[in-house]
Amino acid sequence: MMKGLTQSQPQLLQLQQEPVPSQQPAVEALNPAVQQQLNLEHVKIRATSLFKAISRILEDFDGYAGTNTTPRWQDILGQYSMVNLELFNIVDEIRKVSKAFVVHPKNVNAENSMILPVMLSSKLLPEMETDDNLKKDQLLHGLQNLPIALQIEKMKARIYTIAAACESAEKVLSETRKAYGFGARQGPTITPTLDKVQAAKIQEQEKLLRAAVNFGEGLVSRDQRQMALALPMHLADVLNVGPEMQNLVDTSGVYQKITPTQINTISAQSALLQASGVQLLARSGTNMNTPSPQQQSPQQQQQHQQQLLQPQQRPKMMSLSQHQQLLTQQQFRQSAMPGPGQLHGQPQKQQFSQAPGNHKQFQGRQLASGIGGQLGQGNLMSRNLGQTSGAANNALFNAAQTVQNTQMVPNVSATMPSQSLLPSRLQYGLSGSNPQSTHSSQLLNEKMLNMGGANQTGMLPLQQQGGSQGAFGNMQQPNAQTFQLNMVALQNNPQNHQGAFCQQRSQNQQ
Amino acid sequence: MECIVQGIIETQHVEALGILLQGLCGVQKEQLRIHELCLKSVPNLGSVSSEVKILCDLVPPETTWTVRHVGGSMRGAGADQISVLVRTMVESKASKNVLRFFYALGYKLDHELLRVGFAFHFHRGAQISVTVSSINKMLKLHATDDAVPVTPGMQLVEVTAPATSENYTEVVAAMSSFCEHLAPLLHLSKPGISTGVVPTAAAAAASLMSDGGGTTL
Repeated sequence: MMKGLTQSQPQLLQLQQEPVPSQQPAVEALNPAVQQQLNLEHVKIRATSLFKAISRILEDFDGYAGTNTTPRWQDILGQYSMVNLELFNIVDEIRKVSKAFVVHPKNVNAENSMILPVMLSSKLLPEMETDDNLKKDQLLHGLQNLPIALQIEKMKARIYTIAAACESAEKVLSETRKAYGFGARQGPTITPTLDKVQAAKIQEQEKLLRAAVNFGEGLVSRDQRQMALALPMHLADVLNVGPEMQNLVDTSGVYQKITPTQINTISAQSALLQASGVQLLARSGTNMNTPSPQQQSPQQQQQHQQQLLQPQQRPKMMSLSQHQQLLTQQQFRQSAMPGPGQLHGQPQKQQFSQAPGNHKQFQGRQLASGIGGQLGQGNLMSRNLGQTSGAANNALFNAAQTVQNTQMVPNVSATMPSQSLLPSRLQYGLSGSNPQSTHSSQLLNEKMLNMGGANQTGMLPLQQQGGSQGAFGNMQQPNAQTFQLNMVALQNNPQNHQGAFCQQRSQNQQ
Repeated sequence: MECIVQGIIETQHVEALGILLQGLCGVQKEQLRIHELCLKSVPNLGSVSSEVKILCDLVPPETTWTVRHVGGSMRGAGADQISVLVRTMVESKASKNVLRFFYALGYKLDHELLRVGFAFHFHRGAQISVTVSSINKMLKLHATDDAVPVTPGMQLVEVTAPATSENYTEVVAAMSSFCEHLAPLLHLSKPGISTGVVPTAAAAAASLMSDGGGTTL
């Protein structure tokens, strides 16, 4: 510490001397005003007194070291305190001196000792400096070579021209504003008035428009319910109608006749379902026309019967909800689906396909159709069930439906080759338009299949319950044995995909 | 939540409005062609009936689907003082099978319409969208190519801005101040409140058009 002090003193002395020659080489002495400010004399006095105090201490220590006597600490401490005092005085003087040149931070401690140099520096950060230079270049473009006074003049001229341009723009804006009444709260002075007739027309149109946008009124007309023959691109993908639709328009004239009348009676909310119903109807038309194996022919006959019976049942169907109507349409689609790819649908359809019958039975079948991949539709149908009254064995239906769902799903997912299966699913569940067979019987048949030859005696009472709803058709005699026979017969025919289906079913059961 | 006002403008002034909006917003106008399908739930689907809108943006190259649910609007004395309708709204993009999904859920198509026009999206105090479109109805189901306007001589102008319950006052203020700029051509009001046509519209439109369509920005 003492060494540091001794070193600082010669520096101080140098400080006093250096500024004099280095600051303004052209001038020999400092400006007298600066000299007065600097108060160099005082600094010199303080420095010398500090020097004396420190040298005194040094002498004392030399003496102690020489004579080997124990130093008297009070004396030494006193001398140190003198040094301290002198230090304070000189720092004070230095501060006054160097106010013009340096900044002396008051509070320096460990935390800010690193940052202080950066914070105190007047030089900009490098990025800021480059920005500054860029802006300066832009401003002084072409002017940097001139003397500073000229630069200032030119900048002033530039500012003046810009201000003038702004003022003239303001004037133009305000004039036009006045002329056209823009932005004026009182509005234009001359307000053209509309004829009353015109105003009334406009108001009417406005009502129409607002109603259409906000509430959707007036957008639906009678003929709107007809399906457009060609769906726009964005819907064609989504609704899967497209090409199939066009194929089917020609095939089954009977079905086509049916749809418009039904559609007209349906409320506006059934558009899509009707559309899909139309699709499905059309598809079933093609299926109808394809040559079918033996087992399908009786069903085709039944389908024809359904067609014939349909007009009779139309009044009933009109009163149904749209779902039901759609589903009835779908029922007529005895989807004798060609190809082995659609195994699942067909056997069920064939089992269920009957002549058209009661609503309830339709609904029942609709329930049964909620199978596997058509959970969505199945939900619709179960809703139908919920809505309709008088359908017997609701619990049974639901149970059967869930049973069917759980069992059918794996098969469905495994063997679903194309999207055309979806409508087939719709179809098979919904078809089976046997008015005489009961839904419960169908479900029972399902259940029997699913349970793999369960106790037939247990089944019979259920069948009898179902039988109460109406007569039974050919396929669904309420006799488990005959059903089993049918199953066997089906299985016997290797070509029959129903057989394959049954096989799969039996596999399911296992 | 969203803040929305609607107004009407005669079709003859639509171009002038486009010029005015371009000057005000500073962005390019975007073409608008949206097929809107409004689906309603059947009675047994939920405790209350709900309505969902599926919007299909038909502007090429790709069609994008959006699902939108509009809820109730703000009510009360405070709401009456605001000139803008503030209502809950939830919107989300969806994949293209959203329509089939909703049908599978049990929603039925209630009505559909086609909006054809242009839109501006910009930020001025709030993210504001202005759409000027003619509302078309389809004579046959889903036949968007053969749509005819519901009101041939009149188009709908909608100014919307998304908002949250915390910042809706600022959004409302931003929208109101923007709507004042449109005062010469049309009046904007809450949906459901009819405004009529502005008498200065013709003169304003003429002056806007007289610059030869304005200068390109």
